[in-house]
Amino acid sequence: MVRRRRDPRDDSVSDEVLLAGIAVGDEQAGLAFVRRYQGRLYGLALRIVGDAALAEDVAQEAFIRIIRHAEVFDERRGSVTTWALTITRNLAIDAIRVRRSIPTDPDDRLFLELMSTERLPEDVADRGDALDRARTALAGLPVEQRRAVVLAAMYGRSATEIAESEQIPVGTAKGRIRMGMAKLRDAVVIEESP
Amino acid sequence: MSGYVDDPGVCESMQEELTELALATLSGRSRSEVLDHVKSCPRCSTTLEQLADVTDTLLLLSPEVEPPLGFESRLAAKLKEPRGEAERVTRLRRLRRTSLLLAAAAVLALLGFGLTSLVGSGGGNSPVQSASAGHATANLTSDGHVVGQATISGGQPAWMYMTVNGVDWSGTVKCQATLAGGKVETVGVFNLSNGSGDWGAPLTSPAGDVRSARLVSPNGTVLASARFPA
Repeated sequence: MVRRRRDPRDDSVSDEVLLAGIAVGDEQAGLAFVRRYQGRLYGLALRIVGDAALAEDVAQEAFIRIIRHAEVFDERRGSVTTWALTITRNLAIDAIRVRRSIPTDPDDRLFLELMSTERLPEDVADRGDALDRARTALAGLPVEQRRAVVLAAMYGRSATEIAESEQIPVGTAKGRIRMGMAKLRDAVVIEESP
Repeated sequence: MSGYVDDPGVCESMQEELTELALATLSGRSRSEVLDHVKSCPRCSTTLEQLADVTDTLLLLSPEVEPPLGFESRLAAKLKEPRGEAERVTRLRRLRRTSLLLAAAAVLALLGFGLTSLVGSGGGNSPVQSASAGHATANLTSDGHVVGQATISGGQPAWMYMTVNGVDWSGTVKCQATLAGGKVETVGVFNLSNGSGDWGAPLTSPAGDVRSARLVSPNGTVLASARFPA
């Protein structure tokens, strides 16, 4: 295989190609991947854990896992972006569980940040419309459904845990999650169909 | 669990669990049951895929933030370290900061992955089975189902690492090792969240003396166990 020297900032190289390079030990591919994703992974970790030092640990662990598991990435199961973000989310959730730092009001902090209209170029190319629809649909949810969805999706809280923290029956928590997610699905997925 | 295909009643009864599965917040046996159903139900399979897409989209809404200066170099340094050293440093940092935030290091050690580094140590990923000499790995099982893995790392002291995913328990669990001769050593007390958790802890006995490991609930119920090869 002939490898050309790659500019780490070369955005024309796809994520999948970078991962393939990482899997065979290509330093430049690894560097390019980290530079491409560090803001995203650190940003997500920071949103979830709310602490800069811990967020850096989480983001770095995420990169270590991605780099060491690059060869098992399967693009048929989703994009590199969502794979990387999911790894980061799971690590961040583990971190806050160890700290037992339960978010007191996800609707204030995280929700407002999720409403940011800042977009990366690849988001626009990949699913910019879906992001806009998701943002609009999230803003339109009843506050209790939005809280339940954000607690589950971003903080990994189960229905039982949400029921405890919100002081509501488990069935009510499950219903809020389900209804909220169903509305988001209608907005994000169904409208994508021709 | 078969026979669910085209049974709207069963599908409807699973919608809440299906949503929680897409959010990765469904634990243990409930998750297994829903997955079994989804395998045989195209409609719920599609719903699950769509809900998972929503979850992915929510993650994408989080805006990027530039990490602190030196992020890249610190990451490169971690990747340069020999695997054991990187884990040890990570573990000590986390122990200092949070007392017990061992999950990632333990999982990395458990998986036995080789280094494919940013800084050119080269090589590909190693499969679980190729963990270096001095390590023993066994599946953790519960009611005949694999619910994780336990690894013993030789050395002074020896360490036990566990990754658990799918035990029907949330909360405190005790990890015990059974030694040759039948003596039981408590390795530590840990926390499972939604049936999942990862951790590592030192052993007071030599690695070679450990015959099996088990997770025990506070009321004495054995939740899962692993038997190491003699």
